[in-house]
Amino acid sequence: MRSWMIVAAALVVACLLPLSLDPQGYWIRVLTFTFLFAAMAQAWNIIGGLANQTSLGHAAFFGIGAYTSTVLLMKFGISPWIGMFAAAGLGGLAAFAIAIPTMRLQGHYFALATLAFGEVLRVIANVWTSVTGGSSGISVPFSPPSLANYSFKLLLPHAYIALAALVIVTVIFEAIRRGAMGYRLRAIKENPSAAEVIGVDTTKVKLQAAIISGMLMAMLGTLYAQVAVFFDPDTVFSAGSISIRVALIAILGGIGTPVGPILGAFFIIPLEELMNDWFSASAAGLSQLIFGLILIVVILWRPRGFVTLLKSLSAKLPGVSA
Amino acid sequence: MFKQPSKPIRVSRRAVLAGTASLLASPMVMRSARADAKSVNIGVVQPLSGANAQFGINSRNGIQLVADEINNAGGIKALGGAKINLIVADATSTPTTAGNVAQRLITQNEVTAILGAFASSLTIAISDVTERRDIPLLTMSFADQITGRGFKNVFQVVAKASVIGKAQFDYTMAIAQAAGAKIDKIAIMYEDTAYGTAQANGLRAGAKAANVQLVMDDAYPLGITDTTPLINKLRASGAQAVFPVSYLNDSLLIIRTMRQQKINIPAIGGAAGYVIPDFEKGLGEFSENVLSVNTSNYDLAPDLTERFRKRFGYFMVHEALENAVALDVLVQAIEIYRRLDAGHDRRRRRIRSNGTQCAFRTIDGAMAEERARHGLAEGNRQGARDLEILIR
Amino acid sequence: MEFVQAVIDGLLIGGVYAVISIGLTLVYGVMGIVNFAQAEFLMIGMFVAWFAWAWLGLDPVLAAPLSFAVAFVIGWLVQGQLIARVLKAPSVAQIFLTVGLLIVFENGALMLFGSQFRSVTTPYQTMSLSLGSLFVSVPYLIAFGMSLTCGVALWWFMRASWFGRAMRATALNPAAAQLMGIDAGLMYRIAFALGVGLTAFGGAVILPYATVSPAVGSDYVVLMFTVVVLGGLGSVAGAVVGGLTVGVIQALSALVFPIQLQNLILFLVFIAVLAVRPQGLVGASR
Repeated sequence: MRSWMIVAAALVVACLLPLSLDPQGYWIRVLTFTFLFAAMAQAWNIIGGLANQTSLGHAAFFGIGAYTSTVLLMKFGISPWIGMFAAAGLGGLAAFAIAIPTMRLQGHYFALATLAFGEVLRVIANVWTSVTGGSSGISVPFSPPSLANYSFKLLLPHAYIALAALVIVTVIFEAIRRGAMGYRLRAIKENPSAAEVIGVDTTKVKLQAAIISGMLMAMLGTLYAQVAVFFDPDTVFSAGSISIRVALIAILGGIGTPVGPILGAFFIIPLEELMNDWFSASAAGLSQLIFGLILIVVILWRPRGFVTLLKSLSAKLPGVSA
Repeated sequence: MFKQPSKPIRVSRRAVLAGTASLLASPMVMRSARADAKSVNIGVVQPLSGANAQFGINSRNGIQLVADEINNAGGIKALGGAKINLIVADATSTPTTAGNVAQRLITQNEVTAILGAFASSLTIAISDVTERRDIPLLTMSFADQITGRGFKNVFQVVAKASVIGKAQFDYTMAIAQAAGAKIDKIAIMYEDTAYGTAQANGLRAGAKAANVQLVMDDAYPLGITDTTPLINKLRASGAQAVFPVSYLNDSLLIIRTMRQQKINIPAIGGAAGYVIPDFEKGLGEFSENVLSVNTSNYDLAPDLTERFRKRFGYFMVHEALENAVALDVLVQAIEIYRRLDAGHDRRRRRIRSNGTQCAFRTIDGAMAEERARHGLAEGNRQGARDLEILIR
Repeated sequence: MEFVQAVIDGLLIGGVYAVISIGLTLVYGVMGIVNFAQAEFLMIGMFVAWFAWAWLGLDPVLAAPLSFAVAFVIGWLVQGQLIARVLKAPSVAQIFLTVGLLIVFENGALMLFGSQFRSVTTPYQTMSLSLGSLFVSVPYLIAFGMSLTCGVALWWFMRASWFGRAMRATALNPAAAQLMGIDAGLMYRIAFALGVGLTAFGGAVILPYATVSPAVGSDYVVLMFTVVVLGGLGSVAGAVVGGLTVGVIQALSALVFPIQLQNLILFLVFIAVLAVRPQGLVGASR
């Protein structure tokens, strides 16, 4: 009972927070990207956490999403909202395409195969200049500001859309986790052969999880395109700043839990900004170095994620269930 | 066989003034310059970590040198001796972060202008933020996209990459003609980021215009660790000259592999990797017969570059020089505005139309004018107000 | 003829890929850790060799043992203080600890050494041997020779020496090994230090033709992982086979496809091989 109240309270705070910030300012921008990355990490969480398949290639879907909606807007004038669904379609297709050859791969092999897949798409985007603009990148064409056009003068509406995306992806995550699919995924995680024996179609379930995750990630790519307005293959198909980062966010927060990606994003993104603010002027590389050190310390301290901190806190408070 | 060593394009300071004229129209400079009499905050957003760290650091150093010199000479006179206060921040290698950083500098540090950020993708991300807030952005990134979007507050202090590419080609043709050699087959190879691709477009256009055959036209991934297949292809192509567009490590790889395979055709590089002393150090005698063009070079401002060397202990590379010039232009804009009276609207219109005229004042020969005209014509076609430093 | 030249080039560069990747597969084989920071030790090895060249006039290939030693010590400390603490944690935590290490090493090097690209000049850098119309690059040949030596030495170490066998025992079954009197912690430390030392050795060996900067690791990291996974994680022979395969694929693909697509072809082949043989080319089937 209590946990519902906490979630509701958090939602209220989340809705009010953007309003309290300077709409032209810096923190609203950071908040928007924090919501967005939390949503991305949550999408990743579906196969990274529930299916226990560490994907290091999620940027593939993200980039497909960003490019699909932007190219559709550019060449055919299609609204990004519709483009988002086209993006989801292609993202799902891509997830299917990579899931098939990697179906039998264990842990680290899967991770590296997905990393390779992300890179494949990055090179394609770089080379296919006629569609993607190649390495020079692509600009989202200007549309008069309106909700229908998904174009706004201020960042505030973008922040709310990102928040809505986070809520939706989290709800989907929870629905899977608590539902039949989650049960089957857990069975596969524990013991794949036993799962097969009791009638779980492991291939189908893993494919389903992968496709949902890919579709959501692609839709978030569209969101990014509309906020960032310009991007290139190195940005949206990036192994380091997208794939590895969203996995890191989910893991630091607590893989496989609904609140993990949110905790992770609210830790990492403001932290990076603060490090940049405090240290980047003093010496080149210092802010990143300190960030890396903090990362190491946090992993050593809480290898299973911040969510374990919450759990131990709630264990001390009677009557609160996590 | 061409015997000259690196032949740089020069930057003229008078042309810089011309560019200043265009900068004057930017309202924000004037507003903020008036606001604070004690110091003027200027943002420096450069990549200070990651793969471009070297260039970001050099750029920052160039800006630092000029800022300190101006401050030591009494600050910005028109504002009663206000000191320049540089707010430095790391753009990192992620455009999103670069944009955040720029936003932070604008909101929290109230910077009057921003100088940044070497890599085109970072600069473009920053330009979105600065354009929304009407803050001028001065950059030496030379991707065509930067000024091609019709933004009013972005100022590019060097010629576009495609213009440099064409210059790279045209110069070579001119030298060949002068030496009595005929070139009809050339090879182009370029690293595949925005920089290499844009410059290669210029090279291609030059070759097409001169009816020279491209027997090889290949992009390669930036972090390439082995150029043997590339050079094998070059050898097989029968090119008489090769135009590589690279950064330092790929340029060293390329030239070394060429020498290994005893390929001695002239190599004409384009900026980035070919005009830094490390290149010559890296190749020793094999750097002979490698020519290059550059957006700016040390010998046209020898005092400044000497002071840079004394302070920082190394050669003033082109990005340091260009950023230094950018800051100088910005300050001159502030100085000049303060001495202008009212009626600036009329002046603004006049300056805009005169902008092209002013730029021609520094001509050094018919060829230079041709190139300049070409460069500015491109700029005008884009409809943007480029802060073009004239090519001599 | 072009084909033969491409195969020769591919094998030579493949040997180099093998020597820098052997360490990575060793670390995985004994400890089960995918070390994302491995390429940073390549960078460290290159810097050590560069300084040996700049200050002592030592040829980088001769300085390779020095690179090995420095990386060995650093690896020893890192393993003992950091990695050991997450051995019981979920493997994702281990992976991301090494990601943190990557960030620390790269930026630490940036702060210590500065961002300038550095390279060496050696007399044989631009030499090549001519066999008819074929070229064999001398620096690559030397690197290939060193990799072979390294590979053989490691193989002998793992097979014939007590330490090698103890490490393999620990990899197979840590509990049983402990019961036999082998200190698993010590084995892990040796394995990790040896692994990163080998990669650093490889770095010194490639310095004659490569340039070093703090960020150079990122140019090699995906390549190293492709080599190791293609060959089969944990198998030293796999790293060699993987390295040679990757080199030859890169060289041959350049004959048919644009060079810009070099990595694309490589990755597609990589994914295809894994689809058919999930344990890699040489890896043992589960």
